[in-house]
Amino acid sequence: MNAPDRYERFVVPEGVKKVSYERDTKIMNAATFTVEREDHTIGNIVRMQLHRDDNVLFAGYKLPHPLQYKILLRRLSFARHASSNTVQIQTTSQSSPMQAYNQAINDLDKELDHLKSQFEGELAKHTRDY
Amino acid sequence: MEGVSYQRFPKIKIREVKDDFMKFELRETDASIANALRRIMIAEVPTIAIDLVEIEVNSSVLNDEFISHRLGLVPLTSERAMSMRFSRDCDACDGDGQCEYCSVEFYLRVKCLSDQTLDVTSKDLLSSDHTVVPVDYSDTSSSFDNTPNKGIIIVKLRRGQELRLRAIARKGIGKDHAKWSPAATVTFMYEPEIYINEDMMESLTLEEKTELVESSPTKVFGIDPENKQETGKCMIVGNPSTSPGIPLCGSRWPNTIWVYASMVIVVDPEAYTYDDEVLKKAEAMGKPGVVEIHAKEDSFIFTVETTGAVKASQLVLNAIEVLKQKLDAVRLSDDTVEADDQFGELGAHMRGG
Repeated sequence: MNAPDRYERFVVPEGVKKVSYERDTKIMNAATFTVEREDHTIGNIVRMQLHRDDNVLFAGYKLPHPLQYKILLRRLSFARHASSNTVQIQTTSQSSPMQAYNQAINDLDKELDHLKSQFEGELAKHTRDY
Repeated sequence: MEGVSYQRFPKIKIREVKDDFMKFELRETDASIANALRRIMIAEVPTIAIDLVEIEVNSSVLNDEFISHRLGLVPLTSERAMSMRFSRDCDACDGDGQCEYCSVEFYLRVKCLSDQTLDVTSKDLLSSDHTVVPVDYSDTSSSFDNTPNKGIIIVKLRRGQELRLRAIARKGIGKDHAKWSPAATVTFMYEPEIYINEDMMESLTLEEKTELVESSPTKVFGIDPENKQETGKCMIVGNPSTSPGIPLCGSRWPNTIWVYASMVIVVDPEAYTYDDEVLKKAEAMGKPGVVEIHAKEDSFIFTVETTGAVKASQLVLNAIEVLKQKLDAVRLSDDTVEADDQFGELGAHMRGG
């Protein structure tokens, strides 16, 4: 029949980029990231991590359709005090959506490293007790 | 903002570990991480399961597809799965998925020769790899149980019936098909924080307290008979020495005596199912706020149960590993960054440079 293969849900087709990036043409420092073959698992943790970033003004994600296996992440970022002087302008340019995105992923990665070592430590303690 | 990190440092406390069950607390992180871990444990931690069946002879009462489906659902020990290849990514076997790097072969040859019905079970599956075998559910802890463990029944044969087949087991994930899910149940709940307003609680009669305690469908609250508290002048209806009776409070009663009423205590906060029944009861009694319940937003209690394919503790570790791999996969590729650099000048201009 015409049912799509089951693996299409999580295997990125050839010639398609896992993550694509599109700058917003109307709003400063805003961009949309399209992540192929991912769902709420990744979408939600990245969004929540971006919310922790003071430079991120807006971060949201959506799954356009349950049968379209991709998520759209949209975020807008700049420094809280985007008024004038050079330092702040630098700050502004340094917190581009792309940097915020990379930072969020790095922070999550470190958090998971920490979680893993915590878990292993606890497990060793627990198995020793028996 | 270079060098600024928004990283969190979650804490874990393990409460209970068994081979296929564990319970732990996860603190100082948010629901997105807890839910990501749960989702991954259910649908994205790889295991090994039978994926292809070639039937040579099948004269049993079940048809070929039925038997193939049942074989697929048999849990196989999958400690090796994390390091194994997906057969679609395997370059050693031209994509037919039948090499040692990405598959395990099983044989099943059973014929019933006696008058008694023969059970074909998961124990009859002969594996080509001793690390990948049907999960053994024989419970060593209950030695008094003398029933011999026979594994999972696949089909039953009568005299003369025969089943002969070859099966290929492959690595896969639960998102593809539920037979690859290592999880039986994975749940988490917010840790509840329950406050009892002692002053308000004191103004209730024992009857009202009992009513409040019993309004919860799960046993969250109890009345502590040990920790008695002076409540005031009450009259005991009935004989106080033989029955606790019902104290009636108030000055209307002339023959009042001092009694001690029992305190309402929280017996098991985690039994609370966020059903709001106690809160509704308190309100109906005209005492809103006598009990306050909050969910701690950064504290989760996980229960993990596995099918036996991997140990529960290993399942959690694998889930963390899989999540790390997924995050790594969604990093921006270099050519995306380059493409954006072409906008550099325009970008700087837009940012007010």
